[in-house]
Amino acid sequence: MTVLYNDPTHFREELIEGFVAAYGRLVRRVPDASGVIATQPRPRSQVALVIGGGSGHYPAFCGYVGPGLASAAVMGNVFAAPSAEQIYRVTRAAAGDGGVLFCYGNYSGDVLNFDLAEQRCQAEGLEVRTVRVTDDVASAPQGEESERRGIAGDFFVFKIAGASAARGDDLETVARLAQKANDQTRSFGVAFGGCTLPGQSAPLFVVEPGQMELGLGVHGEPGIQSSHLRPAHEIAGLLLETLLANAPAALPPRVGVLLNGLGSTQYEELFVLYKDVHRLLVAAGLAPYHPVVAEMVTSLDMAGCSLSLCWLDDELLPLFDAPCTSAAYTKF
Amino acid sequence: MDAVAQSVVHRWLAEALALMVEHEAELGRLDAAAGDGDHGATMVRGLRAASAALTGATGSSGQLLQQAGAAFADAGGASGALVGALLATAGQQLGDGPCDLPTVTAALRAGADQVARLGKAQPGDKTLLDALYPFLRALAAPPPTQSLTVAWKAALPAAEQGAAATSSLVARRGRAAKLGARSLGHPDPGAVSITYLLRALLATEL
Repeated sequence: MTVLYNDPTHFREELIEGFVAAYGRLVRRVPDASGVIATQPRPRSQVALVIGGGSGHYPAFCGYVGPGLASAAVMGNVFAAPSAEQIYRVTRAAAGDGGVLFCYGNYSGDVLNFDLAEQRCQAEGLEVRTVRVTDDVASAPQGEESERRGIAGDFFVFKIAGASAARGDDLETVARLAQKANDQTRSFGVAFGGCTLPGQSAPLFVVEPGQMELGLGVHGEPGIQSSHLRPAHEIAGLLLETLLANAPAALPPRVGVLLNGLGSTQYEELFVLYKDVHRLLVAAGLAPYHPVVAEMVTSLDMAGCSLSLCWLDDELLPLFDAPCTSAAYTKF
Repeated sequence: MDAVAQSVVHRWLAEALALMVEHEAELGRLDAAAGDGDHGATMVRGLRAASAALTGATGSSGQLLQQAGAAFADAGGASGALVGALLATAGQQLGDGPCDLPTVTAALRAGADQVARLGKAQPGDKTLLDALYPFLRALAAPPPTQSLTVAWKAALPAAEQGAAATSSLVARRGRAAKLGARSLGHPDPGAVSITYLLRALLATEL
């Protein structure tokens, strides 16, 4: 249940105000636009990484703005893509001379609006490239990877793209590395309870007692399939088996790991689950690298979690390791 | 355009908003079957934004529709972009032309084609096009001298039948497409909401 709101139609506006009030040392509001931009000035020659999507996913997307991560984030209404107009305004505010990389989850509303904004920017002579996050293995079969939707894998793609931009790479390179990070990231999740939109009294879907949903979406979409609830160690096995069956071909064993909470699943439950995830990763011959067990892409108050793996080859590793500061994630 | 024609767009928007508010919960339930349940809210938000943008605005019906479309699009989401483009493109095509059957039909067709291009959708993909294209076909049936109101009213069942028939389709575009068969058995909320936009025009006494 989403409890804390005033007028549900002002939810986005009020959350932006509150976020900027809390994290003014990192971000400021883009004037006349639904988005935030990093306060710390960047060299004008740097690529601007502009991310975005609907609200309801905090810390995605505004929580990823800061040095070494995104330059700016465009924020739509709850679970709705930001409009092309808002994306354009935020992009204009963030762009220097190095061009812009758009990075967001692969949803038709986001694709439509970001593409329209991209066309408008290009027409004005601003160079824009796009990398869509497509990590969710439940959303399309192998061979159709580019059709998949983006869920918690955002974390790895934003981190690596942001580090590449901060290093001073040109737009071509930042886009290539972001695409590579996406191509080497896989996620799969389970849900135990649906989420409720601000102002609504019933959740978007209900999980029956003793059941869980496999292959959840992060917008309250029900899972691809229902199954019986089982102990944490079996869920760990299920998540990992699914990811490994969908792993990218022939990569070194080092993997970035994100066990992501969806909104109302306890951190301590996640650690209980992670104990077995870690053990099973090692048993499968993989080397978990700087694992993250946290809420990184949520779905309002949805109960559940997802597991993401990012295969970190020698090119991606230094970017994943690079320092960054943001409300969501800081690395020294 | 004269003052009466200008206010057609205002009156249509007011009626469309009232209809959409009435059906907001129903559209939300349809959307929750395979999506995120916000379609009704998105349509209401878009129509409110369009109404606000047109408060005190003057111009030809075509110009007003373009303004309404831009404001609708800025309300966000896939529906915002698509319905906004539908209105804006139809307005652009309408321009300063008369609100007669051939001109309005051509404008609506241009809008529908733009939605198909932007959304990379075809008839049968379980989208608003599955209501809009049957409506356009029905609108093209009577002689061009037929009154717009009469032709519109006669064509409306084709849109409603098209929307209802999306129940038996599996979504191939949009977020619902990721859920494949879960979209079966429910009409597409976008196809249903477009019938309300079309029906609203009848209340404006063109």
